[in-house]
Amino acid sequence: MKLWRHLGFALSGAWQSFWRNAAVSFAAVLSICLILIMAGVNLLLGHALSGVLETYKARVSVISISIADETPLATVDQFRDQLESDRRVAGVRYISKDEELGKFSNDPSNRQIVQQIEGNPLAAKLEVRVAKLDDVGAIDRLARQWRGADRNDPTDYQGDFISRMLQLSQWLTLGGIAVLSILTVVSIVIVMNTIRTAVYHRRQEIEVMKLVGATEWFVRGPFLLEGIMTGVLAAGVALGLLLAAYRPFVERFHADLFFIPLSYDPGYVNRLGQDLLIGGALLGAMGSYIGVRRYVRI
Amino acid sequence: MVLTPDFSPRLLISFQHVWKRYPNGTEALKDINLDVPEGDFLFLVGPSGAGKSSMIRLLIREERPTRGKIYVDRSELGRMRRKDLPFFRRKVGLVFQDFKLLPTLTVYENVAFALRVLGEPTRVTRTKVREALETVGLSHKETKYPRELSGGEQQRVAIARALVHKPRLIVADEPTGNLDPATAWEIMQLFLQINARGSTVVMATHNREIVDLLRRRVVAIEAGQIARDDRAGKYHEAVAASGIRA
Repeated sequence: MKLWRHLGFALSGAWQSFWRNAAVSFAAVLSICLILIMAGVNLLLGHALSGVLETYKARVSVISISIADETPLATVDQFRDQLESDRRVAGVRYISKDEELGKFSNDPSNRQIVQQIEGNPLAAKLEVRVAKLDDVGAIDRLARQWRGADRNDPTDYQGDFISRMLQLSQWLTLGGIAVLSILTVVSIVIVMNTIRTAVYHRRQEIEVMKLVGATEWFVRGPFLLEGIMTGVLAAGVALGLLLAAYRPFVERFHADLFFIPLSYDPGYVNRLGQDLLIGGALLGAMGSYIGVRRYVRI
Repeated sequence: MVLTPDFSPRLLISFQHVWKRYPNGTEALKDINLDVPEGDFLFLVGPSGAGKSSMIRLLIREERPTRGKIYVDRSELGRMRRKDLPFFRRKVGLVFQDFKLLPTLTVYENVAFALRVLGEPTRVTRTKVREALETVGLSHKETKYPRELSGGEQQRVAIARALVHKPRLIVADEPTGNLDPATAWEIMQLFLQINARGSTVVMATHNREIVDLLRRRVVAIEAGQIARDDRAGKYHEAVAASGIRA
């Protein structure tokens, strides 16, 4: 019961303080809202780019090993078993010469060539899906050492492309973290200063609270809640604006740059909402905690 | 060596070889020894800068002594942990010269504030606040704001707030400093009444007339030392005294 009474006191204190310093409070909401919009754009872009990267990664994490015509089927099976028992390998599929020719013939751009070739010059293949992109190189080396591989063109591995893609992915992750870190620090400083203004306005009340035996947490409570209120309100506004702009932006982007597989992901909207609201609340709580810590020390 | 005092059931405050030096080098208190039994009424007198306020600040643990020990109700204030401090303050009622009332709250709310902080239920708060306002004679003004009251009435509200949680000790720092003589006398009557009900009162004051009229215990501080400790003292005797009789 006492806890509820204290919570009620903190809530009413936070609410009164928020409106008493309405100008400062709304300036803080606006600033944090802008920062959260930037953070949200960063998250959305990151999500979209990681989607694009994942598509590419899925493509390049599969390598085809060409099998020399004279390789006995038993040797192929043996190597296939070896690959399947390898932890780095997610799956292996054998594609026969006929299947390869069928695939080749079905491609309309090869129609003329198909008419000119005699027999089946295409090699049978082992299509290996590697679990992690980092391990594709090692599997490629293993395949090249295998005596059943076609000597002229053992695999379709594109080492350079993969390493560049891995690098790009790492830089994007690092960039995202750096931007988010800067935005976090800036928001905390804004909340901190807003709460310090509130502390200044309520210094008399704080002094009396301390004198009549309020605990530090009792004094801090209203300010923490005010910080959280500021953060959540800012996150709500930022989320609304981001959601309104997300779909039209993706559609516009798709129309202009159709070759980049960027798409609207309704599933990510919930996640973004959760992240922004929790992020806003945490930023508000941290900013106000730091802002108020020194001034309410009993 | 400083020994833990032999607390008879009635000893409430004990200063033992207390020194206070501020970071700027000012030696505010020098080797203060003082025992205050429960139920006592004690005036701290002395010229400005003598160390009265330092003693009050030490007594409510706004400051720690540089050396020596202060016991209040068997707790040693210098060693008290920060988290225990609020619970200590709840045993003490504080009254100041500038009243320290919250201007946006009514008389009732100002007094109730002390109980809200403690998380008292509304019904209990209502009974206790009305009782306290009755004691200070302000029941008819509970809906007024501090700005609508005279100085004396504002000090009465502050006293009601100090005694609403029934503390064993009331500490007052120049409570009549901003009041005319007639109002000051009324306020003093109130403190006497509170003391008669069993609360110990420690009051720092410059009010010579009142100290002389009441003939209560007077502790005179001069240059950071106890210059005189009289059971039924006078202001001028105390201040003029030479030699220490602590």
